[in-house]
Amino acid sequence: MFFVTYLQRELRRRVRQAVLVALGLALGVGLVVTVAAASAGVSKAEVGVLSGLYGVGTDITVTGPSALAAMARACTPTPTVPCFDGRPYRGKGTPVPKPSKSNGQILFPPLFNQVSASAVAAVARLHDVAAAAGVLTLVGQSHQSGTYTVDGVDTGHTSVGPLSTATISSGHFFTAADSDADVALVDSSYATSNNLKVGSAITIKQVRFTVIGIVSPQPGTSPPDVYIPLARAQAVGTGDKDGAGSLANDVNLIYVAAASAADIPAVQGELSRLLPGDTVTAASSLASEVTGSLSDAAKLTGDLGRWVSALALIAAFAVACLLTLAGVSRRSAEFGALKSLGWRTRRIVAQVLGESLVMGIAGGAAGVGVGFAGAAIIADIAPKVSGTDSSAIGSMQQVIQNGSPAPVVWRAVSVPLSPSVTAGVIVLAVVLAMAGGLLAGALGAWRIARLRPASALTLVA
Amino acid sequence: MYQLTGLTRLYHKDRRPVPAVTGVDLVIGDGEWLAVQGRTGSGKSTLLNLLGALDRPTEGTVELDGTDLGVLRETQLTRLRAQSIGFIFQTFNLIPTLSAAENVEAALIPLGVSQAGRRQRVTAALDAVGLPDRAKHLPTELSGGQQQRVAIARALVKDPTVVLADEPTGNLDEDTRDDIIALLEHLWRERGLTLVLVTHDSAIARRAQRTAVMSNGRLTIRQDSANR
Repeated sequence: MFFVTYLQRELRRRVRQAVLVALGLALGVGLVVTVAAASAGVSKAEVGVLSGLYGVGTDITVTGPSALAAMARACTPTPTVPCFDGRPYRGKGTPVPKPSKSNGQILFPPLFNQVSASAVAAVARLHDVAAAAGVLTLVGQSHQSGTYTVDGVDTGHTSVGPLSTATISSGHFFTAADSDADVALVDSSYATSNNLKVGSAITIKQVRFTVIGIVSPQPGTSPPDVYIPLARAQAVGTGDKDGAGSLANDVNLIYVAAASAADIPAVQGELSRLLPGDTVTAASSLASEVTGSLSDAAKLTGDLGRWVSALALIAAFAVACLLTLAGVSRRSAEFGALKSLGWRTRRIVAQVLGESLVMGIAGGAAGVGVGFAGAAIIADIAPKVSGTDSSAIGSMQQVIQNGSPAPVVWRAVSVPLSPSVTAGVIVLAVVLAMAGGLLAGALGAWRIARLRPASALTLVA
Repeated sequence: MYQLTGLTRLYHKDRRPVPAVTGVDLVIGDGEWLAVQGRTGSGKSTLLNLLGALDRPTEGTVELDGTDLGVLRETQLTRLRAQSIGFIFQTFNLIPTLSAAENVEAALIPLGVSQAGRRQRVTAALDAVGLPDRAKHLPTELSGGQQQRVAIARALVKDPTVVLADEPTGNLDEDTRDDIIALLEHLWRERGLTLVLVTHDSAIARRAQRTAVMSNGRLTIRQDSANR
């Protein structure tokens, strides 16, 4: 076909220009693909971090209102008595809260108001809620064991919550029958450091719990040391670290799984209406409360990545347009001759557009390759990104040790960043490159349309 | 064939009008060979562009077979060039990436001729100019004379009624020039074309039936050339 023959010959004649245009488009598009792949990796990592922090299947969490801000406002720090989230320490020179119960143990929730356990049942009854489970997270301190963490979990609903991501390495998980039993699951690291195994006994607030299983957490997560049935945690814990207050029927975190992703906004609304004083947070917005290198990576691939990609694309398009315009100018006499033969302007324009489109497609294909290479490089480096839960949900602001404040990371998760190039991104890359080619061709076409044959022919004469 | 009445073409340079062709009155008959002579810048090429509908007059009219070219739309002029007018340029203006046959074929593309038909007519056109064995050669692989023969074949392949040649031998050596002019003359006689040929060369001009002289945009007919 004459059109194809002419097109092939022209591209071959101006192979350097064609390669330059395609290469420019490839680099611009390749950057877009790489950034999109990295962004997809960050999103995947966010899911991994969130599931590590909050458990697989958790779409929404509910917590009681935070007491931290109120306490901070109430406190006036002094040189010798700093504020511990608004609460002055008791005893001079002894900033660490001392266990005040017998056996030297205290067990209390982090500075947080509780949510009634009956609210969990109400949540579970909501339309579009697939599952709901309450958890009572406690901090224990003893003379023997030091500081340890305990999660009181609903043994009848483990598909959501902190145990949903753990695997049993020996023994077995809780069953529904364990709801009021003095049994415990122990984290594998804690078991190792305290020489615990299945069948061992641990004492929490004078209650002897039998270890029925050793659990291995999802890699990179920071799980509690011990899991006990919720009812038992409510019984042995106290409302504060002074040993006052009861935790009967209290949880401090409700994990909620929606029936489907589409139901999450509706469920979130229903929860806010059902529990007006409590904090209802969807997992997607929890992502914004996670700090650490994950949020840095998200910012990098987000705003910065988008800007850099946009600039690279604009530069690539500009190069393509300039080179095409230059090529059309150089071929003015040729186009003038074609017009003298009776070629209509649109036929000549179609020829130029065809050449530009081929360069665009070549650029798009190469750009996808460049994008894959960029994603492969990131995957090879396999940077780990970590997320620290700095939300009110599980964060303990400071534990003062020996007079020096030391922040304690309540929960932190580290997952590898593995970028992925999706089919949608590939299609986008090719479309962008073709758009660049067509834009360049359109500019060339405009130039041709303005060409007067007589003027074009005199350019050579 | 052609009737030119008060034909004028002005260009503008620094907002001042520059007359290229001024008040030309001329009739060119069917099948006539008219040579147009003149110095560089006298308006010869501009006159040819107006005859070939590559340009529009500023004043006056150009009528081809009774049709005023100045009132036709661009698409109509393009169609006219495709069907009825063949051009031959001093610098050949062949498409450098297309072979000799493909360059000739390019003239048939606007006419919607089938591929088989194009192939047949291209072969015949190259035969007529004595280049049957150069069909697949690119212009860079042909001599100047051969390139001009290809250009002549391209101009004639569509069986035009008018051929406009602008200094067709200007870039050729003497021997080749004679060959080309002889070829043109032969084809003119054989096909009964109307041929308007612009040239510096008086020897070539004398071979035409009539000679016109352009000077400062004005045209006069050489009396000794009338009715040859």
